Amino acid sequence: MASLLSYLVRRILFAIPVFLTVSVITFLITNAVIDPVAIVRLGIKNATPQQIAALKAYFHVDQPVYIRYFYWLSDFVRGDLGRSLYTGTVAQKVLPWIWTTLELQIPALLLSLGIGIPVGIYSAKHQYSKGDVAVTTTAIFGVSMPTFWLGIMLIILFALDLRWLPAFGALSISPPYIGGNIITDALAHAFLPIVVLTFVSLASIVRLVRANMLDALRQDYVLAARASGVPESRVTYRHALKNAITPVITVVGLSFGTLLGGAPALETTFSWPGLGYEFVQAANNLDLPIIIAITMIITIMVLIANIGTDVVYAYMDPRVRL
Amino acid sequence: MSQGAKPVRRRAAGQWAVAWRRFRKNKSGLAGVAIVGAFLILALYGIFAAPYPARSFACLYQGCTNLPPFVNWAHPLGTEPSGIDVWSEIAHGASGDLYVGVTATLISVIIGIVVGAIAGYRGGAAGALLLGLTQVFFVIPILVVILLFAKIFLFLVAAGLGLNLIVFALAIFGWPVIAFIARGEILRIRELEFVQASQALGASNTRILFRHIVPNMLSPIIVIASLAIAGNILTEVVISFLGFGDPSASTWGLLLDDGFQYVRSSWWVSFFPGIAVVLCVLGFNLLGDGLSDALNPRLRE
Repeated sequence: MASLLSYLVRRILFAIPVFLTVSVITFLITNAVIDPVAIVRLGIKNATPQQIAALKAYFHVDQPVYIRYFYWLSDFVRGDLGRSLYTGTVAQKVLPWIWTTLELQIPALLLSLGIGIPVGIYSAKHQYSKGDVAVTTTAIFGVSMPTFWLGIMLIILFALDLRWLPAFGALSISPPYIGGNIITDALAHAFLPIVVLTFVSLASIVRLVRANMLDALRQDYVLAARASGVPESRVTYRHALKNAITPVITVVGLSFGTLLGGAPALETTFSWPGLGYEFVQAANNLDLPIIIAITMIITIMVLIANIGTDVVYAYMDPRVRL
Repeated sequence: MSQGAKPVRRRAAGQWAVAWRRFRKNKSGLAGVAIVGAFLILALYGIFAAPYPARSFACLYQGCTNLPPFVNWAHPLGTEPSGIDVWSEIAHGASGDLYVGVTATLISVIIGIVVGAIAGYRGGAAGALLLGLTQVFFVIPILVVILLFAKIFLFLVAAGLGLNLIVFALAIFGWPVIAFIARGEILRIRELEFVQASQALGASNTRILFRHIVPNMLSPIIVIASLAIAGNILTEVVISFLGFGDPSASTWGLLLDDGFQYVRSSWWVSFFPGIAVVLCVLGFNLLGDGLSDALNPRLRE
């Protein structure tokens, strides 16, 4: 327990320079190369004096660049994310978006793991069978597909043509709700985007599980277990799977970044008001405080996910010393 | 030597010949080569022989807007309500997307090999710095930062940089992975006997590095590069789809953006370019998988 704690502390300490580097990159991109005020003037025609003033205050533009950065960083660390150039404070606006994004991503992740692991095991156990060929073919198409394009296709088929499901937004704007109440309405709106996200991440999980299972089933310890009369199901699920699953955990943990940041196009096609969609909106409006906040929040969540992954990994794999 | 029987000089099969022999038997790898080849031809067709120029609204003036596919053979895949011919634009998009995917990957491979080679061979502070840097790049939400980059520097696109801005952005965020792999390979290879032998013979560091080590670490990098082209094309499609790319250059993402605007009236404008993206990315993925099987015999039974 003590070793786990010290490991956690070390990982968190290591995450700090990473966080700072990302913050410098984000800050420099939005700031140093050109005057942020000029960026806004270039992008927002008729930028109001209030917007310019808000931006000057947010970036402390009267200071030299490195001082600006420290002012900005100290504001950020103290939770002062500034004000949107349009309405409201950044913190108030961004928090609900995180929730809306997770509303899609968490069910999709759980579903794709729940389906992907058994299918991957099946595929590895029956290598080159018809079922395996079907699975691997579907999976390689899945990893070659732009997520949002699959979304558009499903919108055309199920929302516009068959009219079974709504195409846009997270909730009906006003009653009548689909299915009579707000919960079924939310489910109906979330259904298609979750299906798309599940399919695409399912494809990569199946490929990963299959490859690792094939590798594990070829190892000597599997042969030894079989030779000593361990039942095949126990060989598969205890001996092979236990070793095949750790890389899967690593990859899923590392993909948390794409999970949060990778959805802008999909969220845009479904007008789903999550972090990705709002990031695109804010970028189009050059709402710099919001853009920076979203980038940094995603970075922080990725860092947390990475630390979590490493801890789980260390727990599952006794060879990793804490 | 008797008459007629020419002296047969058989060179010992090199690693590349062995790999090719293995690759030749791999059906999905060959399918990948065929698909990639077909898209190269499509790109050339787009540049030299497409019926309409890039982003041309010519059909508007010919009165054939919003045509469904397979109706009028002058426009096999239909036209947009705005008058863009879908087939012609897919061909132009092929050259745009292949250009972005291949160039960005090439640049990141070159930077990655040089940085990874120096860090791996020299070790020390450079190695530590590189390791730290790759850690940062693994954590950066790359797509978001690239979108941000593309948006802030959008004025450079109009100033003549065009698609090169995206190439540049993809290369900046693509090289660390290559460098990381290159460094690992070098750490492995520099301990091998032939390297120590040439050290003993007094070869210079540069010669050892670029004559002996780099050629031997190419095979994992070729595999990664093929998969990276696929990934870069997918990212490019997302960037242009969201309107962060070059609005005057033809890419599949931009065409899909048109398609999404006309989603209620004209399904074909988003269907066909999407198929092109899937097939092209599939081609590079199959190629990468095939190369991986052929170049890493360890993974084979």
